[in-house]
Amino acid sequence: MEIINLILVIIIILALFAYLREYILRQKLQKTGDKLLNDLKEKGWETLHQSITRSQDMLGQAELEGIKVVASSRFNTQRMEERYGEELAEIVRQAQQAINNSQTQFAAFINNLGQEAQSARGVSEKATQERINKLFGNLEERLSDFLVETSQKTQASIELELRAARALIDTYKQGQLKLIDENILAMMEQTLATVLNKKLSLADHLDLIYEALEKAKAEKFIV
Amino acid sequence: MNNILAIILKDTFTELQLKHRLKVLKSHLLKALFGGKEQFLSREDLNWLSSVSQTLQTFHKDNVYQILEELESQSSQLPLLTIYLPVASTDNICLQIASMARKTFQNPKIILSAKYDPNLIAGCALVWKGVYRDYSLRVKIEEKKEELLGNFKKFLK
Repeated sequence: MEIINLILVIIIILALFAYLREYILRQKLQKTGDKLLNDLKEKGWETLHQSITRSQDMLGQAELEGIKVVASSRFNTQRMEERYGEELAEIVRQAQQAINNSQTQFAAFINNLGQEAQSARGVSEKATQERINKLFGNLEERLSDFLVETSQKTQASIELELRAARALIDTYKQGQLKLIDENILAMMEQTLATVLNKKLSLADHLDLIYEALEKAKAEKFIV
Repeated sequence: MNNILAIILKDTFTELQLKHRLKVLKSHLLKALFGGKEQFLSREDLNWLSSVSQTLQTFHKDNVYQILEELESQSSQLPLLTIYLPVASTDNICLQIASMARKTFQNPKIILSAKYDPNLIAGCALVWKGVYRDYSLRVKIEEKKEELLGNFKKFLK
């Protein structure tokens, strides 16, 4: 317990010592700072006074220079106005002259243009007429060719159609003739059958049958 | 056995006739050997039976069925000539044709089967072993169709 108290007392003493040291150092620093500030303040005031004096001098000088400039500028302005007036009159005169020239040239140009247009129109009309004539010539030629070609094609087509129709008619005719032949044959068979049925005797029939048997034997149909 | 069939075939020419006579023979023999009801027989049948009476003596109770079966079997294997005629066939016509056929083809076993076909006009058509061949006037007309038509058209002109 005593050791702890002793340690605490030592710590407190050390702390007090540190505080006092710090306090003394601060007091010293404050005195040095105050002195430095006072020096600076005096120097500042001096500098400010010098600056004000110099600026007043400069202002006076500037006012003087300004008055000189204004006077000079008024004079120059008047001179320039006069000069500009003269130059402007000269320019207006030149412009007038240029406009007059331009008008003359323009009128001449228009006149020339009219003549050229007239000439071009004549040439164009002539060319157009020539082209139209040529076109009509070509058209006539092509139309003639086309008509000839169409006529040939139509003729060929009609001939083909006619040939096909003739072939069809021939086929039909052949068919009909064949049919007629078959009918004639059928009629002949029918007539023969009717006639022979009445006219052929049994002996005749038997003779024909014997003949058929002989033929079958000759053909070796029945062996 | 073959002898009996040959005797039957001597005056039997058509298929129908053969079947009928075999039936009559069977009926007659069964009645004669085993008794039973008398079947009606035509004069022609009776005549035929009397014509083969000599042959009938070979039949006994113990062989009648066997012989009849063999006869039926052999009769179904006889060469059959089918003939199509443009006229209605009678027994007489068939007899004449069959005789002529047997003579022509030198085969006494040929049996005739006659059928009617009026479209043949004249002549006949034959069927032998399933093959048909037409020898009629219809075929001749068909063969000479062009010639006939030509002549007919000439006649029309």
